[in-house]
Amino acid sequence: MNDFLSLLPLLVTCCGAIVLMLLAALEKYRPESGALLSLGFLAAAFFLQLSTLGEPARPLFRELFNGMASTSGFSAAAGAIVLACAFFTVMITHTYFKENSFATLEFYAVLLFAVCGMLLLTLASELICAFIALEIMSLAVYVLVGFNRNSLRATEALFKYLLLGAFAGAFFTMGTALVYGAAGSTRFYDIAVFTQSGGASAPLMIGGVFFLLVALLFKAAAFPFHAWVVDVYDGASVPVTGFMATALKTALFALFANFLAQSAGLHDKWITFLFVISVMTMFGGNLIAIGQDNLKRMLAASGIVHSGYLLIALVAISADQFSGSVIAYYLAAYGAGTLGMFAALSYLGGKDERRVSFEDFKGLAKVRPFSAAAITVFLLSMAGIPPTAGFMGKFYVITAAINADHIALAVLGIVSSILSMWYYLRLIVLMYFHEAEEGFDTGRCGWAGTGTAILVASVFVIGIYPIII
Amino acid sequence: MIQDYLVLSIVLFCLGMLGVITRRNVFTVFMSVELMLNAANLAFIAFSRLHQTMDGHVLAMLVMAVAAAEAALALAVVILLHKHKSRLDTNVFSLLKG
Repeated sequence: MNDFLSLLPLLVTCCGAIVLMLLAALEKYRPESGALLSLGFLAAAFFLQLSTLGEPARPLFRELFNGMASTSGFSAAAGAIVLACAFFTVMITHTYFKENSFATLEFYAVLLFAVCGMLLLTLASELICAFIALEIMSLAVYVLVGFNRNSLRATEALFKYLLLGAFAGAFFTMGTALVYGAAGSTRFYDIAVFTQSGGASAPLMIGGVFFLLVALLFKAAAFPFHAWVVDVYDGASVPVTGFMATALKTALFALFANFLAQSAGLHDKWITFLFVISVMTMFGGNLIAIGQDNLKRMLAASGIVHSGYLLIALVAISADQFSGSVIAYYLAAYGAGTLGMFAALSYLGGKDERRVSFEDFKGLAKVRPFSAAAITVFLLSMAGIPPTAGFMGKFYVITAAINADHIALAVLGIVSSILSMWYYLRLIVLMYFHEAEEGFDTGRCGWAGTGTAILVASVFVIGIYPIII
Repeated sequence: MIQDYLVLSIVLFCLGMLGVITRRNVFTVFMSVELMLNAANLAFIAFSRLHQTMDGHVLAMLVMAVAAAEAALALAVVILLHKHKSRLDTNVFSLLKG
């Protein structure tokens, strides 16, 4: 029965997606009602997910699923973060579609299907199951990216993303095939047993895991597979970009951590590789972010940097006592900050996303002090200034790196954090220390405004929570 | 025997990769991706024989299903691209430069 409870959020979102898709065939349902319905389904799934947080780690339906899906506190937490991100994304889209008219009911159905894929990804403990979850998620997100069919930029972003995503997917299958060849099974547990007895150095295993890591690093936008992310984030509409930056990354790192943490043999073998990748990702992302004039592109690049921090946390995990709390906490902190930023952008952007560059937000604080304050909080959280969630997230990641004797990695992480101040503070300076050149007239803030306010609160709550407890 | 199948699979995979990187026609690029997926399928079947289990067959079937779904979406994208540009050359897409 408990196994069923752990699966229930997935089933609820899946039902929601199907119901929405069926309703889309009827004329009388407007996109607004789709937003309401999906909010309902997501909220229900979120609270169900919260109720499973304390459950022990175990395979789900061992007889029925044959070890293909398993849950743990970390998986449940990642699922809850995904659902919360999706909930706020729907709130943002509701307001966004008032100014940008390409809303249909199917948008929300596809969004819920993406969430299904992500939830399955957090539960997957078998490579083909993970591949299918990855593809459910990716196919839905491709559609979301290109949803504005009249926009050439969105189409181009969709094409780029689909092509490179399919390429990465092929790497994932090939990696799975090679791992299957070496270990004789694609279940994480069997792979762990195989690598424990020295199998991590088998040529097939090395090749297979390399291919798998390439595919995962590609999806996580880590160096040297990060080039697509800036373009795709730029071309997609603001709420979709926010969704991709937060929920997709959460699901992906959940899989990444679940896979690596299963076996100490595998983790030790690839630790140097991950070490180099995480350092390059942080500094490469910073370099790209410093050069951007477009806010969405800057946020995309800062997403690369945050992937770098998450990779540090992956390097620092120990397979013996893996709880994933550091990764889950960082993902929650990062999700609140980034999604809040996109929420504010979605109603400040105006009709057809007019305001996109740094210059467009000059003097925002004089005209709309609350919005400017909210954006400042999110930026400070992303930069890692106390007492925000971002600071505690970085603090835990760095501490984990030090505890795992990766002092160099911890120092480089701090250096990268200082570098990243440059482009976060630049926007704050532009907002506060320049005269406004326009009135920032937008439609009503609506649900996106409410979402922004809640996210500001959650940035502080997530940041202060571990100090109080 | 298993080596021959593996070599063939790797060769197919590399051909697909080469196609994705060098070809400029959208259709050819997507076909190359399919080739890469099928290379993986061949490896699955070969390993399935090696291990004397049926797992690999099942996995290959699942990969085929996913590949079909991906192809459906890819064709939709091709139509969308053609509507915008009336050409199917990857070179014409230059709005987004990272």
